[in-house]
Amino acid sequence: MADTVTRAPGLLRAPIERRDRALRTWRNRLPGIIMGGPAVLVFIAMFIIPMILAFVLSLTDWNGYSLNFTFIGLENYADAFRNPRTVDAAIFTAVVAFFGTILCNGVGLATAALISGPGRANTVMRTVFFYPYIISSLIIGFIWSAMLAPTGVVNSLLAQVGIPAMPWLTDVTFAKASIILTIVWSHFGFNMILYLAGIKSVPVEYYEAATVDGATRWQQFRNVTLPLIAPVVTVNLVLTLVGLLKVYDVVLALTNGGPAGSTQTIVFQILSDSFANADLGFGAAQSVVLLIVTAVLGLGVTLARRGSEKKVTD
Amino acid sequence: MTTTTQTTINPAAELLLDDPDELRARRRFSWSRRPQKPAAATKIRTSPVAATIKWILLGAGALVMLVPFYIMVISAFKPQEEIIRHPLAISPSTFTLEYLGDAITSEKFNVIGAYGITLLFVALVNVFGIVLSAPVAYVIARGRSKWHLGLLLLFVSGLFIPGQVTLIPVVFILRLLGLINTIPGFILFETAATLPVTIFLFAAYLRTVPRDIDEAAALDGAGRIRAFWSCIFPIMKPVVATIVVLNSISVWNDFVSPQIILGPSSGIYTVTTGVYAAVGEFSTDYTTVFPTLLLAIAPAVVFFIIMQRHIIGGLVAGATKG
Repeated sequence: MADTVTRAPGLLRAPIERRDRALRTWRNRLPGIIMGGPAVLVFIAMFIIPMILAFVLSLTDWNGYSLNFTFIGLENYADAFRNPRTVDAAIFTAVVAFFGTILCNGVGLATAALISGPGRANTVMRTVFFYPYIISSLIIGFIWSAMLAPTGVVNSLLAQVGIPAMPWLTDVTFAKASIILTIVWSHFGFNMILYLAGIKSVPVEYYEAATVDGATRWQQFRNVTLPLIAPVVTVNLVLTLVGLLKVYDVVLALTNGGPAGSTQTIVFQILSDSFANADLGFGAAQSVVLLIVTAVLGLGVTLARRGSEKKVTD
Repeated sequence: MTTTTQTTINPAAELLLDDPDELRARRRFSWSRRPQKPAAATKIRTSPVAATIKWILLGAGALVMLVPFYIMVISAFKPQEEIIRHPLAISPSTFTLEYLGDAITSEKFNVIGAYGITLLFVALVNVFGIVLSAPVAYVIARGRSKWHLGLLLLFVSGLFIPGQVTLIPVVFILRLLGLINTIPGFILFETAATLPVTIFLFAAYLRTVPRDIDEAAALDGAGRIRAFWSCIFPIMKPVVATIVVLNSISVWNDFVSPQIILGPSSGIYTVTTGVYAAVGEFSTDYTTVFPTLLLAIAPAVVFFIIMQRHIIGGLVAGATKG
């Protein structure tokens, strides 16, 4: 390219040169287009167009089958905030996401701190705490629904020590707590693994220095480990929160939304409105709201954590 | 290969995966940020009381984690009465393979068929996901223009879109394409779902691959596409392994997409949708529930035991880079 400057400027030559250059860049770009094209097409077909479609559909009253539908503006969104079913589901989802995130991360961080040392026993513990994570959450839900059923294993064990049967899945409050605890049981191992990776990456010298200064183990954890793994805490919080906002499988298997619809989550509503209730527009509106809430909360937590991450590097 | 797998991707992840002796040996040639001192020497002496409390806590936690698994396994071989009366007991007199046999031959849930179908899905999604993602990640990693950055951002934005949001319109699009209730339609959606993470991790990895290799290949007369597949792609083994682990777990465990894209009318059941059809809601016949669940999780657990190190390393790499 540099030699074009030194070449004598000729009026006639310029267009030819431009054409040559265009041809050359095209020829240079062709492999890139061949290599990138298919993935871009698939992504557009399965992510971008559906996103746009979800938004467009959310403005209609389409039932998913018939050919005539009308644009009803933001009516579906207004409905979403008025409909008590949706509001209840949104509140329950928020409760699950909030307590689930706190408990998964609290338990995950605590166990990671306890088993961060070397040795066989710690490795075994890591496997034991982590294994439910690789099992499908639907199946986790079924396992616990069999355990917690009125005539299930948990109640029969309680009976053996003289405690009366508990309505684990049949009472509204119990059912909500059972769902959150089941999620924590199956998920905290994943958070623990990430925290372990973070803890292990803290340079040993820092602990040596802290020991020389006479810091107790708790002080080391509080003042050395915790600040240094702040970015890991952020990743964990965001991943858990965003994941729990779309919780569905485990609830479906555990309570199927009951008792009396009290444990339906927002994805429950989206799926039942879109398909069973043939109100695709309303389902789409709820999913657009979910998308916005997810993005805002994900970004919000990341930005809010920025502060506590910064403190360390300063 | 095992050695290079995570050390290149995430040294921190690798650290927690091994016993210390192996690690010390490995550090010799991989990386040596941490001193070779055994960690125990640097720790404050823990009082015996604290250690006891710690292990009592961990032991109680381990029980809570393992008892459900234990109950599920032993209940698969017991009659209903025994499961309810003596949930924790193993007694040879009531041991039976009858219910497990029933579950294997169940008409509602063809276990062997579901294993086969799900494995096929896992394999196809892995192959298509990698074949689609690797070249585009290469273009992104080697590109210097704002277009390439834009492309990366486009794909990464997919990480933040919940599958449930796009699923409804996807059903509509697949219906238009005539792919609803078909395996190609499902594979298309699942493959697309793997693109964001795969491209992101591939591009991050390819940035660390020196350009000298590209240049050497070009000197030898290979075009860009040829150079990529025969010179660069083979170097990507570690990150490909990570991706295979991540994608396999997510496809194997996915329930909502097969349930909706491969509706009951298609007659195609994966392990999860098959379990849902067989166990259903509020099933209290434990002689069906437990054997079915045991069959459903057995392959995942075996896979986990064999591949534990790769799975954990892959998950950590996927989460901390993504």
